[in-house]
Amino acid sequence: MAALAHEFAFDAIGTRWSIATGQPLDAPARAAVAACIEDYSLLWSRFREDSLVARLAGQPGSHRLPAHAAGLAEVYAALHRATGGQVSPLVGSSLERLGYDAGYSLTPAGDPLPAPAWDNVDGVLAWNGPELATAAPLLLDVGAAGKGQLVDLVAGVLRARGFARCLVDAGGDMLVDAGGPVEVALEHPYDATRAIGSLVVEGQAICASAANRRAWGEGLHHVLDARTGVPVDSVAATWAVAESTLVADGVATGLFFASPARLAAESCLAGFSCVRMFSDGRAEYWGTLKGELFV
Amino acid sequence: MPRPVTEAARTRTGNYVIAAAAGVALLGAAGCSSGGTGAGSAAEPATTAPAAQGQQPQASGGASGYADGTYSADGQYQSPGGTETIGITMTLQSGTVTDVQAQTRPSNPNTRRFQGEFASGIAGQVVGKKLDELNVSKVAGSSLTSGGFKDAVEKIKAEASR
Repeated sequence: MAALAHEFAFDAIGTRWSIATGQPLDAPARAAVAACIEDYSLLWSRFREDSLVARLAGQPGSHRLPAHAAGLAEVYAALHRATGGQVSPLVGSSLERLGYDAGYSLTPAGDPLPAPAWDNVDGVLAWNGPELATAAPLLLDVGAAGKGQLVDLVAGVLRARGFARCLVDAGGDMLVDAGGPVEVALEHPYDATRAIGSLVVEGQAICASAANRRAWGEGLHHVLDARTGVPVDSVAATWAVAESTLVADGVATGLFFASPARLAAESCLAGFSCVRMFSDGRAEYWGTLKGELFV
Repeated sequence: MPRPVTEAARTRTGNYVIAAAAGVALLGAAGCSSGGTGAGSAAEPATTAPAAQGQQPQASGGASGYADGTYSADGQYQSPGGTETIGITMTLQSGTVTDVQAQTRPSNPNTRRFQGEFASGIAGQVVGKKLDELNVSKVAGSSLTSGGFKDAVEKIKAEASR
């Protein structure tokens, strides 16, 4: 990290960002990063009225999205397959029902609401590559992997501007291309002052997902089973290391529902390694990891 | 899905304690399989057939008579829930097993849990260490949620405590 002495920190899309680079980010580079994040949230944010997601919630339509949407669609399709439909971009209305809505009401508005089924051939949502078409008003939510993809896109902006090395950290989901190993603690899901282990990451992304974060009540948190609309309770936290932040983020979510082996059977996800902690306090690790768990 | 040789071979350099421990745990478990894994003992790895998995071992040879490479096979064992399958992937270098990986293919939720314990290694109850005792640069978690969400939760807490 010594080589990345300059930090640019800010809040965006509901989390704290920290970008470390070898040279300070100049004003045009900062503006380019901000524009990248703004463009992405204009597509996918569930929390602003002028986003595509907000428009689709009111009015069905067909849209050709930027090219990166194809990568997100591919990861979502793999997660959807591997989890038997428990991970779905159609989970937005289920989250809203439980109170995780644009106004942060955080008050359940009724019984859990299963998400509509996702079937590209004969369903309310067809999302193939960058083409996305809906046949009814739908509330999409790409929270399973969207933030990870945005980290990749921001890193791409930096590289295009000549910042060869960088560490892009969006609230603990990060891409580490620091030119040397970075040791990352795995935050204890039940105690933010503790770590359950640490991993050494280099030229990779690491993402975490925890059921007790973004939690707003007894048994109410943001990781829902799309088939039932009910929050998951058997897995407490997950961490995934992968080549891209998009995949690491998606796998970290998928691990709440599917085994590492099942996720790795999807070619666009394969190659990750992971740790997950169950709600009874056991931890499981899988793949090639450098680091240790504290038991 | 078998991982590439290059990635598997890395697990024995440096302090890759996690992968090494997984291999040990796996061999104990595979010994109770009903046959066919070829992985019951680290001394007889070459009985594992690679062809069915579609990954060819790299033909670099060696004095041992076993070609270097990554070998994969499935094995079955009986669980209370029926027959279960576990996939084993081994890496051989100069006649020595340098890595063992397992992939579970559980068919019921209970098996998924128990297989996980020996396929990947379950670390028991995780106690954790104080972050300020660690020399780490970064923390991967979700505690850094900022902005509206935290504010809203605080508001709810405040209202609830009135």
